[in-house]
Amino acid sequence: MTHTQKRIITNNIVMILSALSAIIGIGFLFWILGVLVLNGIDALSWTIFTQEGAPPGYEESGLKHALIGQLFIVGIATVVGVPLGILAGTYLSEYGQMSKLAQTVRDISDIMMSAPSIVIGAFVYAIVVAPMGHFSGWAGSIALTIIMLPIILRTTDDMLQLVPSTLREAAFALGASKYKVITQIVYRGAKAGILTGVLLGVARVAGETAPLLFTSFNDNFLNTDMSEPMASLTVTMYNYATSPYEDWQKLGWAAAFILSMFILSLNIIGRLFLLKKKGK
Amino acid sequence: MSILIDKLFSYATKFVAIAVLLLVAWIFTILFQNSIDSIEAFGFDFLTETKWAPNLEKFGALPAIYGSVVSTFLAMVLAVPLAIGVAIFLSELAPAKLKSPVGVSIELLAAIPSVIYGMWGLFYFVPIVRDIFGGIGISMLTAGIVLSIMILPFMAAVTRDAMNTTPDILKESAYALGGTKWDVIKDIIIPYAKAGIIGSFILALGRAIGETMAVTFVMGNVHKISFDLTEPATSIPVTLANEFTEADTSLYYSSLFELSLFLLVISFTIISIAKFYFLRRQRAA
Amino acid sequence: MATIVTITEEKALEVKDFEFTYASADAPSIKKLTMPVAKNSITALIGPSGCGKTTLLRSFNRMHDLYSGNQYSGEIIFKGRNILTAKEDLISLRIQIGMIFQKPTAFPMSIFDNVAYGMRLQGIKNKTELQGRVEKALQDAALWNEVKDRLKHDANGLSGGQQQRLCIARAVAVEPEVLLFDEPTSALDPISTAGIEELIVELKNRVSIIIVTHNMQQAARVSDYTGFMYLGELIELGLTEEMFVTPKEKLTEEYITGKFG
Ligand SMILES: Nc1ncnc2c1ncn2[C@@H]1O[C@H](COP(=O)(O)OP(=O)(O)OP(=O)(O)O)[C@@H](O)[C@H]1O
Ligand SMILES: [Mg+2]
Repeated sequence: MTHTQKRIITNNIVMILSALSAIIGIGFLFWILGVLVLNGIDALSWTIFTQEGAPPGYEESGLKHALIGQLFIVGIATVVGVPLGILAGTYLSEYGQMSKLAQTVRDISDIMMSAPSIVIGAFVYAIVVAPMGHFSGWAGSIALTIIMLPIILRTTDDMLQLVPSTLREAAFALGASKYKVITQIVYRGAKAGILTGVLLGVARVAGETAPLLFTSFNDNFLNTDMSEPMASLTVTMYNYATSPYEDWQKLGWAAAFILSMFILSLNIIGRLFLLKKKGK
Repeated sequence: MSILIDKLFSYATKFVAIAVLLLVAWIFTILFQNSIDSIEAFGFDFLTETKWAPNLEKFGALPAIYGSVVSTFLAMVLAVPLAIGVAIFLSELAPAKLKSPVGVSIELLAAIPSVIYGMWGLFYFVPIVRDIFGGIGISMLTAGIVLSIMILPFMAAVTRDAMNTTPDILKESAYALGGTKWDVIKDIIIPYAKAGIIGSFILALGRAIGETMAVTFVMGNVHKISFDLTEPATSIPVTLANEFTEADTSLYYSSLFELSLFLLVISFTIISIAKFYFLRRQRAA
Repeated sequence: MATIVTITEEKALEVKDFEFTYASADAPSIKKLTMPVAKNSITALIGPSGCGKTTLLRSFNRMHDLYSGNQYSGEIIFKGRNILTAKEDLISLRIQIGMIFQKPTAFPMSIFDNVAYGMRLQGIKNKTELQGRVEKALQDAALWNEVKDRLKHDANGLSGGQQQRLCIARAVAVEPEVLLFDEPTSALDPISTAGIEELIVELKNRVSIIIVTHNMQQAARVSDYTGFMYLGELIELGLTEEMFVTPKEKLTEEYITGKFG
C-alpha cells in the first residue's frame, strides 16, 4: 500500500468518525428536544394556566403561580438590569474606550458571564435573605439582575463600537453635545444589536434555577408580594420533577416545555433582528 | 442646562461601570466574611478533610471537591472528542445545505437551560445507566455524562467558530499540494486555530465545574469518596443546591459559604486563563 | 472564433470545449473554451477583471471540486487523458500540477516544515533526503541564503516577498510538471516582484507554467505565449512578442492599448 493510499484511508476513517460524532451529538440533542416536546405537549392543558399548585393527586392543579412568579422575578430583573447594563456599556464604548478602567470592567464582566450562578445565589442570600430573615421575590430578582448585568453591558459595548465613528463625528461637527450624539445617533445606529443583547440576556436569566433556590425559594400558591417567597418556573420544575408524584412530574414537564419554548423564541427573534440588520 | 445633562449622563455611565467592579469585589468580600467561622474552625483541613457530617458539626470539602473534579473530568473526556468531531463536520464535511441548519440548531441547543438537561438526565438517562452499569443509576458517571451532553453544543459551536477563522486560501494551498481533508485539518486548521480551540475547551471546563442544575438531579449528594463511578456522589454546586436551605447552625452556613468562595475562586481562575491566555492572543493575531 | 496560434512545441495541457458554471451562478463563467498550453514555456493569461482567468486556472488542478455544486463539461487533456472525469485521482493530479496563490500562504509551521510539507504528504520520511530536497527547493526559489540559518523559525516571520518565494519553493519541491500562478505578485512590492518574475523564467526549463496577471508589462516580460480572455471566452492566443505588437483581434488590441478593462 502506498503512502498516499494510507492517507486516503486515514482520511476516510476520520471523516466517518466525524460524521458519526455529529450524528451522536445531534442525536442526543434531538432526543432531549423530542422528550421535551412530547412530554410537554402531553402535559399541557388549560388548567395549567388557570390553576395554582395543589397537593399531589389533586386534579385541578396548574402552574399559574409559577408563571406569574417567573414573570415578576424576571420582569423586575430586566427592568433594573437592562438600563444599568446599557449605561455601563455606554461608558465602556463612548467614554472609557481603551482606558484601563474600561478594560478592567470588560475583563471582569467577561469572567462574570461564565462564573457559576449558584455563587450569586449565595451572595444574595447573605445580603438580602439573611438580614430580612426570609426568602423573597426581591432576592430572586436581585440575583438575576446581577447575572444579567455583565451580559447586557458587554453586548451594548460591542454593539455601540460597531457604529461607525464617522457618524459620531458628523453629529459633533453639527455642534451636538456628547449626550445628544449618544442618545440620538449612536443608540439609534445600534438599536437592533442592543435589542438582540437584551433578548439574549433575558433568555439567559429566565432559565436560571440555581441562584433562585435559596433567594426567591418557592411557593406552591399564587403570590404577588415580592417581599415573600415566590414560585418560579425553574424552581417549580426542579421540585416537581424530583418529587415522587406522577402528576407533579407531569407539571414539571409542562413547565420545562413552556420555559424552553420561551427561551428558544427569544433566541430566534434575537437572531432574526441581527439578520435583518445585516440584510439592510 | 445641556452642559449639565451632558455631565450628569457621563457621570451616571461611569458610576454604573465602576459599580460593576465594586459589586464583584463585594461578592468576594461577603463570601469571605461569611466563611470566616468555618475558616477559623477548620483552616486548611477544610479542603482535605473527607468527612462531611452536619450533625457532628464536622465539615470537610474533599468529597465535594473530588466529585467536582471527577465529574468535570469525565464530562471533558467525553465531550472534547465529540465536540471536535461535530466541529469538523460543521466546518469541513457537511454539505452546504446542512451546514447552516445543523449549526443553528446546535447553537440553539446551547441556549436551553441546564435544568432541562438535568431533568432529562433524571428521567431518561438514570434508568439506562442503572440497566447497563448496575447501582441505582444516580451516580458520578451519570453526572459526568449529562454534564458532557450539556456542554457539548457550546463546545462544538465555539470550536467550529475557531476552525472557521482559518483563511480559505491557506486550506486551498494545502489541498493544492495533494492534501486530503484530514491532512488539511490536522496540519493547517488545527495549528492555525489552536489557541482558540484550547481556549474554548478551558472556558467550557470553567463552566462545567460550576454547573449546578444539570448534575443536581442525577448525582445524589452523597459526601463519600468512592472510586466506583456508579456510586452516588456530590460536587460543590450540588452540595450548595441541596443543603443551603437546610443549614441550621452557623458553622454549617459558614462551611457552605466557604465552599461557594472556593468554587468562585476556582472558576474565576480557570475562566481567566481561558480568556486572557488563549482567547486574548487569538484576538490579537 | 478565437484566433489561436499554432503551437510548435509539445503540449502540456489542452483545453477542449471547456464550460464552467459556479454553483451560485445562472450563466457559465467559462464558455466553450479551447486552448493549448505549450510544454516548458510560460503562458500568460490576461483580460479584464471577472473574465474568468482564475476560474480557468483553478480548473487545471480541480480546485473547484472542493466546493460542491459547481458544474463543468468539456475536456482538459493532461498526459494523454481527460482530467475532468470522475475517476481522476485528485491527489496525484494536484501533486503534478502545483499552484501559487495571489497572496502568500505560509502554513503555521516552520520554514523547513513548510517546504517539506508536500514531500511528507507523499510519505518521504528519510531525513537526509528531506534536507537535501528542501535545500534544493529553497535554492531554486532563491531563498536559501536568506533563511538557511533559521529554518526552524516560524514561516510567518518572513516578509511578504520571502513568503511568496517560500510558497514557490514548497510547490517546486514536489517536482510538479505544471505550475499555476494566480497573480503571484499582486500583493508584493516592485523589488520582490522582479525577484519572483526572474524565478518564474528560470523555472520554465523544468515545468510548464501558466500565469494569470493584470500587469501587461509582466506578461510581456516573462511569457512566451499570451492568452487574452474576455467574458469567459478565449479571444486570442498568440506568441507574446507578436501579440503585444500586432494583435490579430480588434478586442485584444483595444484591451492592450488600454481602451477598456
Ligand atoms: N465562487 C463563485 N461563485 C459564483 N460566481 C463566481 C465565483 N467566483 C467567480 N465568479 C464569477 O465568475 C466570473 C469569473 O471570475 P474569475 O474570478 O474567474 O475572474 P478573473 O478573471 O480571475 O477576475 P480578476 O481579474 O478580478 O481576478 C466572474 O463573473 C465572477 O463574478
Ligand atoms: Mg482572478
